[in-house]
Amino acid sequence: MLDALIQGILLGGYYAILAAGLSLMFGVVRFINLAHGDLAILGAYLVLFAVEVLGLSPWVAVAATLPIMALIGWLLQATWFARTVKGGFLLPLLTTFGLGAVLQNGMFGLFGSDTKSLGNHIGNLSWASWQLPFGISVGQLPVITFVVAVTVLGTLQLVLSFTRLGRAIRATASDPEAAELSGIDARAVHRAAAAIAVALAGLAGAFLAMRALINPYAGPAQLIFAFEAVVIGGIGSLWGTLIGGIVLGVAQSLGATVSAQGFQLAGHLVFLAVLGVRLYLAHSRNLGGWRSLLPALKPGRKPAARLQHATSEGRS
Amino acid sequence: MSTYRTISSRNVTRRQFIKSATAAAGGAAAMLAVPASVRSAFAQGDEVIRVGFVGPRSGPLGVFGEGDAFLVEQFNAHMADGVQVGDKRYGIQLVLADTQSDPVRASQVAKDLINGEAIDLMLASSTPETVNPVADACEAAGVPCLSTTAPWESFYFGRGAKPGEPSPFKWTYHFCFGVGNFATLYADQWSKVETNKTVGVLLPNDADGNAIRGLLLPELEKAGFTIVDPGPYENGTADFSTQINLFRDEGCEIFNTFPFPPDFPVFWRQAAQKGLAQQIKICQLAKAGLFPAELEAMGSLGYGLHAGAYWHKLFPFSSPSTGMSSRVIAEGYEVSVGKQWNQQVGANASLLDAAVAALASSGNPKDKAALAQALSVLKAETAVGLVDFTAGPVPNCATTGVVGVQWVKASEGAWEYDLNIVSNADHPFVPTTADMTAYTLQG
Repeated sequence: MLDALIQGILLGGYYAILAAGLSLMFGVVRFINLAHGDLAILGAYLVLFAVEVLGLSPWVAVAATLPIMALIGWLLQATWFARTVKGGFLLPLLTTFGLGAVLQNGMFGLFGSDTKSLGNHIGNLSWASWQLPFGISVGQLPVITFVVAVTVLGTLQLVLSFTRLGRAIRATASDPEAAELSGIDARAVHRAAAAIAVALAGLAGAFLAMRALINPYAGPAQLIFAFEAVVIGGIGSLWGTLIGGIVLGVAQSLGATVSAQGFQLAGHLVFLAVLGVRLYLAHSRNLGGWRSLLPALKPGRKPAARLQHATSEGRS
Repeated sequence: MSTYRTISSRNVTRRQFIKSATAAAGGAAAMLAVPASVRSAFAQGDEVIRVGFVGPRSGPLGVFGEGDAFLVEQFNAHMADGVQVGDKRYGIQLVLADTQSDPVRASQVAKDLINGEAIDLMLASSTPETVNPVADACEAAGVPCLSTTAPWESFYFGRGAKPGEPSPFKWTYHFCFGVGNFATLYADQWSKVETNKTVGVLLPNDADGNAIRGLLLPELEKAGFTIVDPGPYENGTADFSTQINLFRDEGCEIFNTFPFPPDFPVFWRQAAQKGLAQQIKICQLAKAGLFPAELEAMGSLGYGLHAGAYWHKLFPFSSPSTGMSSRVIAEGYEVSVGKQWNQQVGANASLLDAAVAALASSGNPKDKAALAQALSVLKAETAVGLVDFTAGPVPNCATTGVVGVQWVKASEGAWEYDLNIVSNADHPFVPTTADMTAYTLQG
């Protein structure tokens, strides 16, 4: 039980990195990127390319890939996403769905359908472990992934809280037009957010490739986990995304101790339960009346730094 | 609100854009169409047998079809004079179609070949997702169909046949290994290394996993193995600590799995993290571990893994239809594709071999009923050995053998891994090439 809990928490670190970009895009740009998983796989392939063809060491390759992924995100937002978001709610879904198909088949064309992994390039790290008391062992790679997740999300949270860019991002998330009136270039902010989001996707892809095998068609399966982590943790909240990832990972590994088939089922059930509660709360708020008092009775449910809280009223 | 430039502001009108886009798309379609139907010297006239060849050549299963272009080239060169049927000579024209790894698409391209290309014989290869929809389309249209590389149980029972009843299929024939082959193979291969005969099995909740659980596990228990089965799991599981802890606590020294291939490295790396891989002496893969690329992705953890193989570079058989020995097929593939040989090249060569043998023995290859009759009693020498439909486990199916193999670190040559043949109980004509060794971490 304790073992399943620890493994689940560590797995949650990966989900959090994967979901953070999706959450940021939705919270700031209000854009649902269905190609997020495929962008993660693209990042993994770029790292693999840097390692196998250019001969860089894996961690250098990851560091070199992130700016490239950020540039891709910036360009996508500047040339594509910003246009589609004007076309209504459906158009971003359709275009990013199409982008996903293009990425999958483009990667198939460039890299073939052979499964690939970064695990064989990082020596023993892909399977080395530390022994803990009570016969529990934790893999070094999952621990590193988790630490990176906490570091990255913490840094981003600091950026959002204390820097000029962070203030601009929060202001834009809250109300883009009012932010523009105050002298913020909302489009530039959106591009910055997209750049961060796609870079995070690439980082997640690199960790996925270290832990597992990837192929050009592996993206959509990852997107599902990212979505679940985002919804569980609360859209637009970075710490919430980390919590969401951990809850998802723990639910999965605890589910697997109940029944081997319970791994994904438990994750999906927790996701559906949280989604149901959120919908119910939103519904009650809209209805007003006595039920609207329910969330207000629990002040702990409204952390101040939450972006989601701000976005829910910001839609013009 | 700010405005963006639209396409028309860049001096490209909508009309021009559509025109150039259509031209580009048309050009691309034409480029794709040319290699799709490879024409031999006998491209015209009644005396040409048209053979449809369906397989996954793009998409996630694309690796299965990577050798097809090479095989077709060799086939066309070797069969340029056609095939002798009775006292008449026919040319053979292969018409290739790509399923894009999609069962729905497989069904569609099969129907297109039947209705649009007027084929006389259909060939299909690689996984039930390809073979079953193609066979169903042929059964419905009354076109003879020969297929391989999917367990025969999933071809036969998976398409609605019932055990003990007469075969419902008139037009479709299949040769491949089945569950029985694994029972014979494993009983022998697992006796090659001293173990406590306790087997941990990891079988997912999918068609293959459930078939193996129902059919193979009882056979293994009869053979004296103790089975530890943590139960079915869903493909795509990212954490296997429960299963690993169970196998470790039960003291399993043999491990056997039929996973969705990308799941295996996740499991095995975690098994190494948690000390299970250090305890396992035989790690027997099926479904995963077919292709060298999968092993290369495992790095040093892959040295010493055990598997089964339905074809090998060192098989003592030749492919009559392409005129190559097994070794020449493997070496030709490596030159042509630039990757290490894999089992599927030989299996696809054997499909072409069996097809030519069926055409030659049909009496009249343009008569579909005669061709189906010829398939039902076909006995053909192929790249994977003798294919004999008269001895099959059920009508419409023939079994071919599987050898036990072990992936080892290559001592020489351009590739990272070598594949040793270590057990031939299920395929006695194939000599073993090395003694089996226990799995040890990092070889």
